[in-house]
Amino acid sequence: MTAWSYYISTLAVYFGVNVLSALALNLQFGFAGVVNFGYIIFQSVGAYIAAVVVLGPSSGTFQQYVFGARLPFPIPLLLATAAGAVLALLIGLFTLRNIRRDYQAAILLILSLIATQVVQGYVPLFNGSNGLTGISRPFFSSLPLSLQGYQWAYAVWGLVLCAVVYALVTWLSRSPWGRALRAMRDQEEAATAIGLNITALRLQVFVIGGAIAGLSGGLLVEYISAWSPDAWGYAETFVIFTAIFVGGIGNYRGVVLGVFLVPILFLELPRFLPQFGYPGLTDSLEWVAIGAIWMVCLYVRPQGIVPEKRSIARRRGAADAPVGEQMEAA
Amino acid sequence: MWSTLVSAIGFGVVLASIIAIAAMGFTIQFGLTNVLNLSFGAVMTVAAFAAYLANRHGVGGWFGLLVGGAAGAVLTLALGRGVFKAYARRGARLFEMMMVTLGLSLIINYAIQAISHNNIYQFAVLQSTPLQLGSILITRTQLVIVFISIAILVALQVLLRATKIGKALRAMAADPDLARASGIRTGQIVILTWLLSGFLCGVAGVVYIINSQSVGYTTGQLFLPLIVAAAILGGAGSPVGAVLASLIMGVVTEVVSAFGSAAYSTVAGFGILVIVLLSRPSSVRGGQAGHQQLTL
Repeated sequence: MTAWSYYISTLAVYFGVNVLSALALNLQFGFAGVVNFGYIIFQSVGAYIAAVVVLGPSSGTFQQYVFGARLPFPIPLLLATAAGAVLALLIGLFTLRNIRRDYQAAILLILSLIATQVVQGYVPLFNGSNGLTGISRPFFSSLPLSLQGYQWAYAVWGLVLCAVVYALVTWLSRSPWGRALRAMRDQEEAATAIGLNITALRLQVFVIGGAIAGLSGGLLVEYISAWSPDAWGYAETFVIFTAIFVGGIGNYRGVVLGVFLVPILFLELPRFLPQFGYPGLTDSLEWVAIGAIWMVCLYVRPQGIVPEKRSIARRRGAADAPVGEQMEAA
Repeated sequence: MWSTLVSAIGFGVVLASIIAIAAMGFTIQFGLTNVLNLSFGAVMTVAAFAAYLANRHGVGGWFGLLVGGAAGAVLTLALGRGVFKAYARRGARLFEMMMVTLGLSLIINYAIQAISHNNIYQFAVLQSTPLQLGSILITRTQLVIVFISIAILVALQVLLRATKIGKALRAMAADPDLARASGIRTGQIVILTWLLSGFLCGVAGVVYIINSQSVGYTTGQLFLPLIVAAAILGGAGSPVGAVLASLIMGVVTEVVSAFGSAAYSTVAGFGILVIVLLSRPSSVRGGQAGHQQLTL
């Protein structure tokens, strides 16, 4: 029974972390049309920063890292959030220029491949491939709770953060700023013509997403108390994207459901099934399956990837609309 | 100091030759079809494993290149005609197609991971003793790789500039509708493009593992950033541009790793990508994307 309680509370924490990620990506992709294939970079920088400011000064023998400090509870999370935002600002400044969207997405993907190599190759930064371990959990010994109680308290804390961020992104999306985002997404030239600063809008949404990503990384690392390059492969970003596709792009409630279905039910349930083959086979096959779901979503809703086509775009005439759209219109 | 630099440049040229073979394949494909094909690295890995298996079954030496090339060509054609075309019919455009190639690369890469038991395999063929050319230490195999790369560039240039097929290819890359209207059999040219670029992709995969002497499921994926950056820097559809860009990237990477460390060489690759972005060759610009369409 306790094993179950432990397991489900762990899933609840993962759920919270993934919901945060999905909310950030949905704001960027679903509302602003900014394709952040490097999302995992911002999450991992948040995780690393939250880790090093809890671990204390680097001794240099067991594990080496920069910015070592021992800061009390909410500060590591705040720093993680800030780290995500700052990195997003830096990366956004040169990737969010006026370039083709597929190039932009590819460049962010390549950045996340390169980021892994840099962290692995430059050990003094965040202890290279071995990563950081022994990150203490906030209030773990000072709260009058059993291990189970602590688990559930942490899960609730994660879900509270989700609720706050959910309220924030839905409010942002409905605000005039959110309408500007949608205008930019649907008709970039028209949005420019009415005086919207496209580059600034993109950068703003990128930084907000980066902050949420940093927060989610901090939340995750304070729970699992370890972080290494294996935890943030480039493909992790696509799990969240798949969740968004499944849940419905631009639809926050659907996206939360998508997170429940894809990373939680689909990726975590197989751990109950008997393992087969050599160790690691099921992990590889799960990734293949994620790719397959991704392909099916694209096939079933090829235009669904470009979020909610507005009626004007549909009426604009069948002549220049792609075949898929013509079929839908017919 | 001086000899370190010269020998680093020597290594850079070898690395550049490998990047160049892949980048030439990528740029022809990209220039003609406009598909930003992120599954290119995965196909490279498949071809590399095909050559590895062929070698295990006694097909040795340089024949591995043909095996890998054939595997790359067949797989690329199958993906192009089978998968990409189906999605294009469903209404996928430039951006959606990039997402499709990404999904494919996830499937192929992790399928290889599953099949290869997530191991790295030794591929110790074509070993030869290093030759000393001035301060450059280079193996005979590496020299052959450099010559293969040059030969491919020359052959491609002849194909593109001096034959009717090449003329048709260039016409289609410039304006597919006009090319079709002038009686060019566009379908056949596209098939040819998939085969040719797939062949080069496969050859690049095999050359890569001949040089690194090992093959694993990440072989192509880790190489992909270099290929894409070289193709974008060199200008889509231009083999000469791709080769020049590869030379810059190969030499910079090796020189940096000779004077700094391997970790900084990746940062150098990153720096080149930034320069590509900041210099923004005309093809990268967003405003013209509306005029560009997939040709499948």
